Amino acid sequence: MDNSKIFIIIPAYNEEKNIGAVLDKLKPYGYSVAVVDDGSSDRTAAIAALHGVDVLRHRVNRGQGAALETGNQYALASNAEIIVHFDADGQFLAEEIFSVVEPLLDGQADIVFGSRFLGIRSKIPAVKKYLIFPLARLINRLFFDVGLTDPQSGFRAFLASAAQDLAIENDGMAHCSEILAKAYGHSLRIKEVPITVLYTRFGQSFGGGFRILADLLISKLISK
Amino acid sequence: MFQQIIALLVIAFLLERTYRQHQKKLIGKNELWFWIVFWISASFAVIFIKQIDALLRSLGFSATGINFLLYISIVAIFYFIFRLRLRVEKLEKSLTRLTREDALKNFKK
Repeated sequence: MDNSKIFIIIPAYNEEKNIGAVLDKLKPYGYSVAVVDDGSSDRTAAIAALHGVDVLRHRVNRGQGAALETGNQYALASNAEIIVHFDADGQFLAEEIFSVVEPLLDGQADIVFGSRFLGIRSKIPAVKKYLIFPLARLINRLFFDVGLTDPQSGFRAFLASAAQDLAIENDGMAHCSEILAKAYGHSLRIKEVPITVLYTRFGQSFGGGFRILADLLISKLISK
Repeated sequence: MFQQIIALLVIAFLLERTYRQHQKKLIGKNELWFWIVFWISASFAVIFIKQIDALLRSLGFSATGINFLLYISIVAIFYFIFRLRLRVEKLEKSLTRLTREDALKNFKK
């Protein structure tokens, strides 16, 4: 497949320090790259535009889930065949995109999740490894009957044909669990592949975890 | 007796404020009616507080009428907070939809 049919969606909120380096590393691969600037107050959008990638702008900050869904819709309208979710803070490696996309190209899966717990060693802070992730896994199991090794993986790829089934409704960080649940709910073929995660800073705090849980409960209540 | 008169005066004042807000079109007709019914019920509760006391005693509750009204109001407040939370959530969803439409529409290559 032509790499330009593979769309890398990068939600970015005040990432002027990292976005340039991330885009530089993606450039050699020839993927279509779309940055969704989620209402940043810094120069994120301007820097992304200078790198010649597509930049969509949320006028107000709506959260990572909302930005990803905007990116999905843009990719679909641009005839993407594969959509990849990637982070703007440089914690994922551009050279690992291919191994995440490969099972889709081989027809083995409809959606592939990168997992920092399979094979490749990522330096995971102890609080996350022994407290937050086990709790998140438990919640995913209890709420959604989902049993993957990496409950909050933000590095994922899926076929454009599966994007409708995966439409993200949770604007905030609860989208990770939501995507997992929808992938299972629609009986998509799911695969996990090992990835490296570079911890540039602490991602989800314990309070953030509770916020995700609250978002999930509320979205259950108001969903039709 | 004195406290009841003060309570009724406060209710009358709040009713008048609500009516004014309706006149200024800050609240709709349905909401005006809701508050009228709410405050009139409250004034009945104030007027018949002794009877409520007696009723509660006959039902075996140890709380007095005024405590009972407080309990009821806390339950009502929780309910309103819950309703508000859902409403805010729906507004958030609409805002996201608008923001997304705007982002997709104004995208230039």
